[in-house]
Amino acid sequence: MKSFRGPATSRTEGAGFFKGAGGFGSPVPFLIPALLIVFAVLIFPILFAFFVSLFEWPLSAGAGPRTFIGLGNYVTLSRDPGFWNSLWLQLGFIFIAIPIEMVLGFLAALLLNREFRGGNLVRALLLLPVFFLPVVSGMTWRFMLQPRYGALNNLLVALGAPPTTWLAQARTAYAAVIAQDVWRMWPFVFMLMYAGLAGIPDELIEAAEIDGASYRQRVFSVIIPVLYPTILTTLLLRIIDALRIFSEVYVMTEGGPGMSTTLFSLYTHRIAFGHMRMGLSSAMAIFLLILSILFAVTLVRKNLSLDELEQRGGGR
Amino acid sequence: MKKALVFFLLVAMTFTVFAGGQREAAPAAQPTREINVLLWDDPYPRALEAMLPEFEAATGIRVNIEMLQPPQVLTRTAIAVTDTATDYDVVGVDEGNVPVFASMLLPFDQWPEGQVYPRTDVTSVTEKMLDIGTWEGVQLGVPINGNLYVWMTRKDLIENADYNRRFRAEYGYDLKVPDTLQELLEMGTFFHENDIAYGFGPFHGGPAGVLCEAVYMWHSFGTSFIDVVDGTYKVVLDEDKAVEGMEFYKKLMAISPPGAETMAHVERQAAFAADPKGVFSMFIWPAQIPAYENPDTSLVSGKIAYSAPPAGPVGHGAVTGAWAIMIPKASRNQEAAAEFVYWWSSHEVAERLVQANTIPARTEVLTNPAFVAEKPHLPALADAMAVAISRPRFAEIGEVQDVIKLRWTEGVTGNRDPREAVRLIVRETNEILQRAGY
Repeated sequence: MKSFRGPATSRTEGAGFFKGAGGFGSPVPFLIPALLIVFAVLIFPILFAFFVSLFEWPLSAGAGPRTFIGLGNYVTLSRDPGFWNSLWLQLGFIFIAIPIEMVLGFLAALLLNREFRGGNLVRALLLLPVFFLPVVSGMTWRFMLQPRYGALNNLLVALGAPPTTWLAQARTAYAAVIAQDVWRMWPFVFMLMYAGLAGIPDELIEAAEIDGASYRQRVFSVIIPVLYPTILTTLLLRIIDALRIFSEVYVMTEGGPGMSTTLFSLYTHRIAFGHMRMGLSSAMAIFLLILSILFAVTLVRKNLSLDELEQRGGGR
Repeated sequence: MKKALVFFLLVAMTFTVFAGGQREAAPAAQPTREINVLLWDDPYPRALEAMLPEFEAATGIRVNIEMLQPPQVLTRTAIAVTDTATDYDVVGVDEGNVPVFASMLLPFDQWPEGQVYPRTDVTSVTEKMLDIGTWEGVQLGVPINGNLYVWMTRKDLIENADYNRRFRAEYGYDLKVPDTLQELLEMGTFFHENDIAYGFGPFHGGPAGVLCEAVYMWHSFGTSFIDVVDGTYKVVLDEDKAVEGMEFYKKLMAISPPGAETMAHVERQAAFAADPKGVFSMFIWPAQIPAYENPDTSLVSGKIAYSAPPAGPVGHGAVTGAWAIMIPKASRNQEAAAEFVYWWSSHEVAERLVQANTIPARTEVLTNPAFVAEKPHLPALADAMAVAISRPRFAEIGEVQDVIKLRWTEGVTGNRDPREAVRLIVRETNEILQRAGY
């Protein structure tokens, strides 16, 4: 009688995985429910979105006629200035907001990675923004930036500055969207960095100190290299999350003024439910998926090689 | 081989599910006595909701109402209502979106007869509102509210003797409810320049809202935007008149509160009713009047004069923004759904809705002398209905609205020359119409 062997640990064993498929004792029947669930909730929606992206499907037709147009929607997108505008805004958002969040989160983690009276309370309070619902955060910022009764303008006016219509000008509205994201998400970076820092053995830092390393040298030559896997994982999580940003911007600016804050997901939503073009919006969704995968693969392949990380992490 | 088979099965499943949407509707199951209703969220449906227990007691039909903000109603309807399946038995459809969903809605003449309440007599619907529930000559549903531009002016400002004296000295006539856009601009400028109140409250609440403002201004200056010409939709915008309208609105923007470029309903209400400085004069959807007249939340409750919108050089116009109540073809509870709409649109319910400060689309209720004496906005509403104008309606209006939102905002905020903005509107709208095959 065969006994359960646990997961395959080598390519040879893996190759034999399907040999007894369907037979008693094979793991395949046990995996089928899980695979079906994975297919239903993960693979099928992607396949379906790709399939829909090959059709001209006006939502006003309901479940009615659709026209197969092959890659026509992707061609349309490539010629659509709105698409390129939203893509550049999205990339700009990622390349501005996330570095700020990373730096702030890292610095705060460095600063608070020590014991002091009330330290736990301070660290807990710092995390508050990350628990805000994005919609609530967006609304809060919208009212805070309101030129007549918003808190920020009242503060500026009290300091002698003229009131500013933050959300009514393209540049300041875009900056406000970024500021909102930084405010809400830098504690998330802090949380991961702090956890990473707390895991660094004290001996490592002490050894560097004994060797005469300055604080700057300890940070750049010891802490950051050891923290490298955490930094990259955080970066990857933030990029994927930032690519999907929607609700907070929607309630803050609805993509305006004009198209100045119409980030990628807002434009996708607009195409789907404003223009009712499901095929085109699905093509945008697939493009976003590919973009996410590209970011992830680039980061993982170039920087998250396990061997390299082990070396950087000092073989921890 | 196995991999190929699995891949083939996946593709086949995908195709089957997708193609499944094209099948004919399944035969209706046994009707139940429970209906799901999707409505927009404002005081009107909320007032109706309070009356539901009596409908449920009279009919035995349980009504589950879901209320969402108007843009979410559109999104939800787009997802949840098709011609073969629907999550809702009754849906509220904004007049601009009726063409979008028309193919999925049950024509009114096919609605089942009511068992408790008689079929709605559509001739009882206010004439100007009747078209809202119609598409390509087919009555699809019942226009339910009389929502269209009504003007609000701060009565306390125009009745102030000191302000009036100073204004007369400068402009040569008395402060009053503005009858023309020029008067609105002059009085608004007076209040704004003397730091008494902001002169005007523009509306930039989303693409549909911006289109309303543009249509109002263009109509007031003598041009339409899109008309049916030779059986198809054509841009008929007169460039010079359109530029005049945009230029004038730009002047109104200059006397508006800070942040006017992005003022949606919530900001307009805050500026007019909650800001101590306030706004002299602006339009309101009648459905929102209860919020402005609520003494608990409004600083200007009882201080508002209502009128038809001020006229431009060509004449008056009041843009409609009403809702019609529809029954999806795929509803399995059409009898109960129809019963609900018949009750809602009845004379008795309309009378009670008026008393709750809401505006049903029934002429005889809106002109009832007893109500008119109590509700100062009702005569203004009647005046506005006499000059009602509609936004263009066709399935691709969402794309056109985006063009208008972008270019109109650029033009009235000084970010683009108004003439250039109008030319871009014409060119980009024509591109949309051509692509759509008009």
